[in-house]
Amino acid sequence: MIEEIRAKAADLLRSGKAKCFIGYERASDGLTARPLFAYSEDDVERLVFDKTCAHNLARYLPDMKGQRVGILVKPCDSRSINLLIQEGQVKREEVYIVGVVCEGIHRASWGRPSQELESRCKYCVRHVPVVYDHLVGQPPSSEPQPPASIPEVEDLEKRPAGERLEFWKGLFNRCIRCNACRQICPSCYCPQCFSDQLDPLWTGIRIGLPQNWVWNIGRALHLAGRCVDCEECQRACPMKIPLAILNRKLGQKVRGLFGFEAGLDPEIPIPFATFRKDEDLR
Amino acid sequence: MSDYEPKILGFLCNWCSYAGADLAGTSRIHYPPNIRIIRVPCSGRVDPLLVVKAFERGADGVLVSGCHPGDCHYVQGNYYARRRFAVLRDLLDFIGIEGDRLRLEWVSAAEGQRFAQIVSDFTKRLKELGPRG
Repeated sequence: MIEEIRAKAADLLRSGKAKCFIGYERASDGLTARPLFAYSEDDVERLVFDKTCAHNLARYLPDMKGQRVGILVKPCDSRSINLLIQEGQVKREEVYIVGVVCEGIHRASWGRPSQELESRCKYCVRHVPVVYDHLVGQPPSSEPQPPASIPEVEDLEKRPAGERLEFWKGLFNRCIRCNACRQICPSCYCPQCFSDQLDPLWTGIRIGLPQNWVWNIGRALHLAGRCVDCEECQRACPMKIPLAILNRKLGQKVRGLFGFEAGLDPEIPIPFATFRKDEDLR
Repeated sequence: MSDYEPKILGFLCNWCSYAGADLAGTSRIHYPPNIRIIRVPCSGRVDPLLVVKAFERGADGVLVSGCHPGDCHYVQGNYYARRRFAVLRDLLDFIGIEGDRLRLEWVSAAEGQRFAQIVSDFTKRLKELGPRG
């Protein structure tokens, strides 16, 4: 598998189809993976792919506008590329997508890879990327069934409003507003984030509950109908705030109201950029 | 808490609802003084974050009101608003701010009576819900 990826990457760089190939390499701890930007055929030898490769590399595409780039994507990451194409951040012809068949990646705990699946993989419904130019690996004969329910969301929904309020306040209180969730998010590419604006001062400068509350809700809102469930925000959060619950909740709502799932088709606009006159949403 | 008076923030569109509220006033229709009105160009102008911010600053309820679908001065602003607030209401409910605290209503410039009725109903509902936790 990795030989095929390396060969393809080397081929892309050699032929000039890509100036840079974005993949994974072994991190300096020798255990986990980190992104690799391969500019020459020598770099290609450092490429790895295994169950430690968690990053959603589509994050880097908007930064490389106007360049020909090759990229390695897992099925969940591939949806990001479709979303970015839809939103005009990436041109399809500028990206050469090497898709890998992925059957789940492992969680790293305190920097050490475990044998446990990442939580995103428990909700995974596809082992083959939705978009690719070259596919590595054998596609499975059948794709997993979508989970009938999202237990984390449903458990909360059953509780009274007051309890939900306290639950989220407790979590948002932990937030240190390091913005890691934003920096790692493939859908967060605004040149200036609302939380960085001083006029109007949306979130407030202090690191306190009211400010964190606005930030976290604002972040979730901006991802409504745009989140591809790669769960990188949750993985990046140093305070272990389960942001994916919010994202999934919104994803579920958008699916229910508009029948839309982000990143499946680059031709379909996201739900908030369009409307139907006859819809009844109340 | 019988003397509890909820604070409502109202975002009214300039072309319909604000004129509707004005009509309620000039017609001397009584409605609760709990609402504080902000005039906006269109219900599509109301960023959901403005609503989040209002709740953060202590509003008990937020009313967003615009022209009836099909009557928008900017042709389609209220259709976008309708989608946004349907999702925002659900999100607010999920994080513990009852969905009833956010209302999206259509009030035309001729509907002073309707505006007064909406504010009365909303205030009543907010009194039932009580102060925000």
